[in-house]
Amino acid sequence: MENDEKILNPQESLRVIRETIDLAKNSIRENGFHFLLWGWLVVLACIADYYLDVVVQYPNHFLAWIAMAVIGLPTALIYEWRREKKDPSTFNTIRGWYGRVWLAFGISLFLVLVLTVRAQVSPVPYILVLVGFATFISGSLLRFAPLIFGAVVMWVAAIICMMLGYQEHLLVQALATVAGYLVPGYIMSAKARNKHV
Amino acid sequence: MFNELDPLLLSQLRLAIMSHLMVVRQTDFNTLKTQTGATAGNLSAQISKLQEAGYIEVEKTFNNNYPLTLCKLTAAGIEAFEAFYANLKSYFDAEDKG
Repeated sequence: MENDEKILNPQESLRVIRETIDLAKNSIRENGFHFLLWGWLVVLACIADYYLDVVVQYPNHFLAWIAMAVIGLPTALIYEWRREKKDPSTFNTIRGWYGRVWLAFGISLFLVLVLTVRAQVSPVPYILVLVGFATFISGSLLRFAPLIFGAVVMWVAAIICMMLGYQEHLLVQALATVAGYLVPGYIMSAKARNKHV
Repeated sequence: MFNELDPLLLSQLRLAIMSHLMVVRQTDFNTLKTQTGATAGNLSAQISKLQEAGYIEVEKTFNNNYPLTLCKLTAAGIEAFEAFYANLKSYFDAEDKG
């Protein structure tokens, strides 16, 4: 940036602000780690729950989901803690909002699980609606179209669940997670790798 | 009539530093250098001026034994940028009407 001491006029000031903010926004990227981590955990938990419930007829088949949370939560938290420690400059306003969206999702998910268990209905369609909501906002914040597509997949899957029984819901959720979560996660990961090379 | 623009922010590099920090809140010296395209000496001089004015905070730390200079906007810096932007906006609004 040459001639730094040049006194700017209002038009030039506005141009500098716009250009710098655009550049800063484009430098914000995620590597897709959380989408891949949770995507695979959800797919495995769906398959495990289906297998335990339908094939083995094990009454505590929901343990698959507890195992998912026990593996996923510490992994995600340790990953974020190490990333922040390794490079404290990675924090930014967009990532701050991004974190808040998923925190709100986590709290809502917990409440939905309690409410649906009490009402004795399948939690899957409600979870898919919530995941679609959080994924849509994440995609908008990161300006990443595959995540918006992923959100639509989750919402469509929630509608499909209306026509099926609880056990089939698990298979719908597994398929929706592959299409709406893992595919965008892998695209994001590939993009982040290309930019770092 | 619009309020006078903060003279400290009427420099291209200082305004670019502040605009970048408005988005990322905190960043390191090398990222700022890449984002603004400034030379290290020039960037360092402008950061010092913003620091003296109380608009940014500079923290010198280490990352894997390498020195790391972190720059962060202060509350006064955010206020100054917002006032600068509001004044700019009122200037263009007045121009549109005129």
